[in-house]
Amino acid sequence: MVAPHGVTGMLGEDGIHVDMQHLKSGEVNLVPVQPGMAINFKDGVILGADSRTTTGAYIANRVTDKLTQVHDTIWCCRSGSAADTQAVADIVSYHLNMYGVTNNEAPSTQVAASLFQELCYENKEMLSAGIIIAGYDPRHGGQVFSIPLGGSLHKQSFAIGGSGSTYIYGYTDAHWREQMTEEEGIDFVRNALQEAIKWDGSSGGVIRLVVLTKKGAVRHLYLPDNGYTGPGVTN
Amino acid sequence: MPGFDFSNFNRNAALHARGVPLPKATSTGTTIVGCIYDNGVVIAADTRATSGPIVADKNCEKLHYIAPKIWCAGAGTAADTEFTTALISSNVELHSLSTGRDPRVITCMTMLKQHLFRYQGHIGAYLVVAGVDPTGVGLYTVHAHGSTDKLPYVTMGSGSLAAMSVFESTWQPDLDKEGAIALCSEAIKAGIFNDLGSGSNVDVCVIEKDKPTQLLRNYEKPNERGQKERNYRFPRGTTAWLNQKIISKEDMKKYVTVETLSGDDSLAEKMEVDS
Amino acid sequence: MTSIGTGYDLSNSVFSPDGRNFQVEYAVKAVENGGTAVGIRCKDGVVLAVEKIITSKLLKPGANKRIATVDRHVGIVSAGLVPDGRHFVSRARDEASSWRGVYKAPIPTNALANRLGGYVQAYTLYSSVRPFGVTAIVGGWDSEAELAVDGQVGQGPNSGAGGKVEGAEAGGPGLYMIEPSGLYWGYYGAATGKGRQAAKAELEKLDLSSGNLSLADGVKEAARIIYVAHEDSKDKEFELEMSWISSLDGPTKGRHEEVPKELREEAEKAAKRALEGDDDEEEEKGQAMEE
Repeated sequence: MVAPHGVTGMLGEDGIHVDMQHLKSGEVNLVPVQPGMAINFKDGVILGADSRTTTGAYIANRVTDKLTQVHDTIWCCRSGSAADTQAVADIVSYHLNMYGVTNNEAPSTQVAASLFQELCYENKEMLSAGIIIAGYDPRHGGQVFSIPLGGSLHKQSFAIGGSGSTYIYGYTDAHWREQMTEEEGIDFVRNALQEAIKWDGSSGGVIRLVVLTKKGAVRHLYLPDNGYTGPGVTN
Repeated sequence: MPGFDFSNFNRNAALHARGVPLPKATSTGTTIVGCIYDNGVVIAADTRATSGPIVADKNCEKLHYIAPKIWCAGAGTAADTEFTTALISSNVELHSLSTGRDPRVITCMTMLKQHLFRYQGHIGAYLVVAGVDPTGVGLYTVHAHGSTDKLPYVTMGSGSLAAMSVFESTWQPDLDKEGAIALCSEAIKAGIFNDLGSGSNVDVCVIEKDKPTQLLRNYEKPNERGQKERNYRFPRGTTAWLNQKIISKEDMKKYVTVETLSGDDSLAEKMEVDS
Repeated sequence: MTSIGTGYDLSNSVFSPDGRNFQVEYAVKAVENGGTAVGIRCKDGVVLAVEKIITSKLLKPGANKRIATVDRHVGIVSAGLVPDGRHFVSRARDEASSWRGVYKAPIPTNALANRLGGYVQAYTLYSSVRPFGVTAIVGGWDSEAELAVDGQVGQGPNSGAGGKVEGAEAGGPGLYMIEPSGLYWGYYGAATGKGRQAAKAELEKLDLSSGNLSLADGVKEAARIIYVAHEDSKDKEFELEMSWISSLDGPTKGRHEEVPKELREEAEKAAKRALEGDDDEEEEKGQAMEE
């Protein structure tokens, strides 16, 4: 049950070599190094993710919600260590809510992105977190930022992340268009995730989406039972 | 040179590289489960505690009190689940006193995850947190590294796979109290019978809205030791002897040196032991 | 207590029975003796101006600045004790820089004013410190452009972000005045220092709330108002210092800068002319002063 600390080493002629495995081995609960994505579309942004959380070969949660709200219309898609990304999202959520009340104005997506980046970069040695941030505000419209492992910040028209994403670089590149309608955007994300789930062993479960526009946040759910066609909007 | 001495790290790394295993922490192989129903939540646990291959306690308690309507089932390092739940229970009560409100399950879960995250997994507590509060019914799992999940039915510990198979095959969305208790008990039994680390009895805790919490200690005892078919106590005189000889203390001096010790310390110190 | 006074004015953090903090009121007195400072919030920028009484012929003209840049887009001018003003500016710079450290973006003017208000207020609470002997005017321009996060890579979609709302609030001018009590308000036009009453009367005539005054006109008005406010202490010579912050498509491109010499001199000339028109009787006197 209790895992040894993730250190392995070897004794060479020139001394002792110790390499730290970056992911703590054993019981570490790895959310999804699985697919998550976010895209810009005509009226805002759409986030999407599968729902599989694994510990080694075991699926610890088959209906995980990896799309996490950090403010009214700022959401993030977590991948990497579940513990790390939940902790980071909780901290950012706290700061964004404080920002909202002290400045009497909702924080922009940029503010959220810089807070995430600050945490991910300054603590890069201790974290295994890949986070996609997507948000909508009336002034800037919909925006997508991606923060990969080292803690750099990338503004993108769409972002894909997690282990499953390698399987859909081709799909997304071939099908991506700017200024899609909401319906087209949802289909793009859903089809890409369906493809990732199909090819990636560590991806699976349901597909969750969040659509962020001036109307606010709307959740969607698509189940494997019916080939990911429904039920659709859930709130 | 002042400063920290890291030479032990290099020694340990070298030993490890040569195949010396790291010291093993004492842990409990365990099955714990939880399941919500229409008006409340049920958690259950087995009662086996192990230390390595030895069953250390055949009837231990793995259901921990946090607040009157929030309880926790613990797996992992026994000492860690015990102390972590005790600490959070204390803080939850202080929090409840300072806010003047009944404590919430999500508050407890957040305190647990933040505590465990701070210790980066070195506190080996794997917990199922359950309860009812003014917002409704709550059921969460908390892993040692600080990640949490919210689900209608959960299992943890070495027997979690066996227990989950029961849930995945027989759980249904509209359970009542009796159904939930039976299901949790069945799941624990799957752990008891199929997982080496789990065993003995089933403990159940039922937390329901507007009702006092019930701790059903040893709700089921599927491993009672039965009456032995035969008795292995031998009557006095069973062993036969050929002769008998009584040696008095005086006679003994012929074979060994006998010294009678007084309470005098100086004499005792002069004695050589195991030289 | 001693035979003089009530004793309620000896320490900060002590109220008088009728609820006043004398130490703060004395600090306000220090401000009321300082050179006049004004700020005008125009439709496309902000102007700051200050009257600097020349206390010695040996002071090098143009060398002793009283308006400070806090961040690229924010300037501060203060009236009262000059060293207190410098410390205040130093704190403002720290706040602006710490904001950039956390949010990777310039601090909004209102947020800076809020933090400085909090800082000044703290100096009214403790017996170990005295309140600030300054009233400061904070002027800034919050960028109307889409702000990038400092250090971000990439620009997002080529066609721009989707779902932007036409006419959504985006940047603009900001003007705040912070008093020794820590009290601060946002203003269309702000004035403090010795000539504040005259300056305020002039500012009120400008109809700033309609948002029609251009930055170029604002510079002229600011100069004129400092000259008007100086009328009551004509016997002393003074130097006018002015700075401005324009919109991104204006002359300073959203930065806080000193008003160029030529422009300032032109504004001063216009100010003198306006004063002459005001009172023809005092023409000779006025001319003598202006030389």
